[in-house]
Amino acid sequence: MNEFEQKLSRQPLRQVPADWRAEILAAADVNRREVVRAFTSAATIRLRLREIFWPAPTAWAGLAAVWIFIFAVNFSMRDTFPRIAEKSAPPSPKVMVELKKQQLLFAELMGPRETPDADRQKIFSPKPRSERVEILMT
Amino acid sequence: MPHATEIERLYDEHAQPLFAFLLNFTRDEADTRDLLQEIFVKLAREPELLDDVREERAFLIRLAHNAAIDLIRRRGTRERTKENFAAEIISPFATTSDPDEKLFREELAVALGELPEEQRAVVHLKLWEGLTFEEISTALDIPANTAASRYRYGLDKLRGRLRPLYEEIK
Repeated sequence: MNEFEQKLSRQPLRQVPADWRAEILAAADVNRREVVRAFTSAATIRLRLREIFWPAPTAWAGLAAVWIFIFAVNFSMRDTFPRIAEKSAPPSPKVMVELKKQQLLFAELMGPRETPDADRQKIFSPKPRSERVEILMT
Repeated sequence: MPHATEIERLYDEHAQPLFAFLLNFTRDEADTRDLLQEIFVKLAREPELLDDVREERAFLIRLAHNAAIDLIRRRGTRERTKENFAAEIISPFATTSDPDEKLFREELAVALGELPEEQRAVVHLKLWEGLTFEEISTALDIPANTAASRYRYGLDKLRGRLRPLYEEIK
């Protein structure tokens, strides 16, 4: 270093404001706590899962394998047999005519259907006033 | 997990040089504060960053430098004009009652402000942090030769700018 460089390097720099320390460390601490909390909750979940699965890992693995097998079979069945409703074509006009004929024949064989009294429609026919009085008297 | 006292230790050991570097680089006290906080928040959130670090100071200067560059890029040209204006009035040097020294520090602050940022960063680390070019190359992620040439260019500009005043008060 020459004389000029030494002169420059001897110039004292400003000090970091003292009040920044508390503010910056507080901000850092808030973030640190968040990280610790996230780490703790993740560790708790891991521990819980371990408690559940660790005692009988083979049984859980077997159960998982059975479920996978069921899903696989179900999936392959769905692909092999297409739905009947989707595949069935609409009836042809010939079939429709034949069906109509059969319906008519069936109706003839059964004869006219008797309507029960309760279902019969009541026809309102006004009567002379004198008759109405008779009804009242009887 | 990071311990609160570990962050405090890092702050007590490194906040002052980081502050001086950032203030000289950004020439803005508010930006310097924001960047300093950003660095310590990052360290609190990602403590593993320091796991394999041999030179804490160089690593933290690198973090500071990257954060400052990101800030300047985010701002763009318009804000940079403002920074250049601020460079004339924000001094990274301590105040003094000696009128000659005061004048010299003011001129030095202005001359440093006129340097390109990359030269200013190298000059700062060489003169006021006492780092070698190897250490500067690690801290700023540049080749050592580039660090040396940037220092030479920067120093020549400072010498040319300050020579009359320097000769006068020598």
